[in-house]
Amino acid sequence: MKILILGAGNLLLTDEGFGVHVVRYLEQHYAFPNSVELFDAGTMGIMATHKIEESELVYIVDVVAVDGEPGTVLRYGKEDFMLNRIPVKLSPHQAGVQEMLLVSEMRGRCPDDIFLLGVIPFSTEPGNALSPLLEKRLGDIADALVIELRARTGLSLPAR
Amino acid sequence: MATRTITLDPVTRIEGHLRIDAEVDNNQVTKAWSSAQMWRGLEIILKGKEPQDAWVLAQRICGVCTTVHAIASIRAVENALKASVPMNANHIRNIIMAQHSVQDHIVHFYHLSALDWVDVLSALKADPKKTAQLAQSLSDWPGNSEAEFRAVKDKLTSFAAGGRLGIFSSGYWGHPAMQLSPEINLMAVSHYLKALDYQRKAAQVQAILGGKNPHIQNLVVGGVATAINVDNLATLNMERLAFMRTLMEESRDFVRQVYYPDLLAIAGAYKEWFKYGAGVTNYLAVPEFPEDSANTKFSLPGGIITQGDLQKVRPVTGHNDDYLIDNIQESVAHAWYGGNASLHPWKGETQPDYTDFKPDGKYSWCKAPRLAGQPVQVGPLAQMLACYAAGNEKVKKLVDEANVKLGIGMNDYHSTMGRHLTRGMRACVMADLSLEQLDKLTANIASGDQTYANPVEIPNGEFRGVGFHEAARGSLSHWIVFKDKKIENYQAVVPTTWNASPRDEHGAMGPYEAALVGNPVAEPDKPLELLRTIHSFDPCIACAVHAVDPEGKEITRVKAI
Repeated sequence: MKILILGAGNLLLTDEGFGVHVVRYLEQHYAFPNSVELFDAGTMGIMATHKIEESELVYIVDVVAVDGEPGTVLRYGKEDFMLNRIPVKLSPHQAGVQEMLLVSEMRGRCPDDIFLLGVIPFSTEPGNALSPLLEKRLGDIADALVIELRARTGLSLPAR
Repeated sequence: MATRTITLDPVTRIEGHLRIDAEVDNNQVTKAWSSAQMWRGLEIILKGKEPQDAWVLAQRICGVCTTVHAIASIRAVENALKASVPMNANHIRNIIMAQHSVQDHIVHFYHLSALDWVDVLSALKADPKKTAQLAQSLSDWPGNSEAEFRAVKDKLTSFAAGGRLGIFSSGYWGHPAMQLSPEINLMAVSHYLKALDYQRKAAQVQAILGGKNPHIQNLVVGGVATAINVDNLATLNMERLAFMRTLMEESRDFVRQVYYPDLLAIAGAYKEWFKYGAGVTNYLAVPEFPEDSANTKFSLPGGIITQGDLQKVRPVTGHNDDYLIDNIQESVAHAWYGGNASLHPWKGETQPDYTDFKPDGKYSWCKAPRLAGQPVQVGPLAQMLACYAAGNEKVKKLVDEANVKLGIGMNDYHSTMGRHLTRGMRACVMADLSLEQLDKLTANIASGDQTYANPVEIPNGEFRGVGFHEAARGSLSHWIVFKDKKIENYQAVVPTTWNASPRDEHGAMGPYEAALVGNPVAEPDKPLELLRTIHSFDPCIACAVHAVDPEGKEITRVKAI
């Protein structure tokens, strides 16, 4: 099974780059087999559609602009995207993840197992490091994702 | 009828957060304001960093144009140090740049702007057989079969029945300004879905040469880090060169046989849009695709056009053009920055001073770049006009053929549809040029040249440089000042800053603002026509400025005053 972990976000705006920081953390802390791709998508939007279509299990990690405790992780599944249930736009990528997945579904190529982990940011001011609050949460959130991946796929994903 | 003010906030289907305000009187725009609602901050982050690393962070300004900022940034350092770039490196960079443009133009036409002209619900009424006949009359693309169009129609029908088209609801379907036949609409929607496969091919080429896409990894001051050895499997070898050729031929065929014919069909059905949206008719394009190591010879010329006059174009022949370098200033009179009203980019300041939206005061995070004091439009239209005026044969042929086919003249290019038409022409030119550059690269490697960088150490002392790049969205420049190996000042003057610019200290409007004046607006609460003109520029606010967008849905506020 081909698995994609797609980190989205802008590295120049502190917590906005959280998804990319997760991908980098995973690269440093775990060994992944070739069947798992860690993809630093930056803010590329619709141009990342083919990456999703080439996979059977997808986790998108991004920030979501909703009210709530910074560092909280919100989880959405495919039906949430397709029925327009996600209340807010994610980071300002040009066409939006929802539109991208809908186009992909129309093409008959959107995988069924697709999840969005949306993190509420503390700061989106200019800066290329995470806020201290999200820096502290980074390891926990990334480790939790690995635990879930192991349970779902049976892969060992050893720590480095 | 009372004057109404329309606020579009945010404008959807662009990268980033743009707000447009327009005053409408008797169904026509009389005044407009373009306000970037995000702040970039790159300049502040780069201060104190090492100049040879700036490109790595610079390409994070934007998700779509990563490559172009990397190129402009590395060129700024090379310009400062007068570094020369070997031919293999130039060809590799040229292919990356041209393929980025192919990818960008395909995505812009189908995914970011087609829904301004194409009515998806109307496609549900199309006859697949007639659609196939129509598509086959426009081009010999093998994918235009009746079965293909029927399958897309069935898919759309089932999505519409299940309420799943809602995400596209920011498209104004059923609007009186939508004029295409159901068959053209079905053809365009089918190609919209297909286009994703071809933008991907262009992305793959960038990944092969750049090591990664997005965010290429292969630049160094003085060349590229792409290892070349025709016989070594781990490097750029004959097999990879052949694979890239196939990918580039496939995307070229899509551009030539699908994108460009679709564009001509849509432009022909909306000919009145060659009359709207001219705005600022001063243009700038810089020469691009260096054909020597010193950035003095280029495949495509640059030029400065004043008030649309193609007879008196001031040529820009290189990236060291003193007139151009000396005469660019950025005004902050109406932008949310403090400090001096107008500064050269090497002296540019980035001091935020937010005041809320004040139409007579400060109202945008975008600065107002001016060339010799005048607002200037950049983009494919500027470049194609400069090429046409300079007698570039390929561009001249495309323009002359389109003029006959559409029954238009050169004055019609200064328009909303003129920007779309020239972007399609540019896509054709870029697709061909990619293959020509691949031929040159292959020939150069075959001749025994395996040099791909002239590595340069950054010396102590003070240096300043500018890196120009004629990118998919227009002329881009990165300006750097560094001292004792640390960046002292960095300013990026990006295409969208030129085009989305607010008014300057003299009150002169920027290109978006000026282009909106005179636009028709049939229904003020559904201002589709404003989107048409704004999208025709291919806005990318993320690199013009940047911050996070609070909500997804485009909100149209209409107020009678």
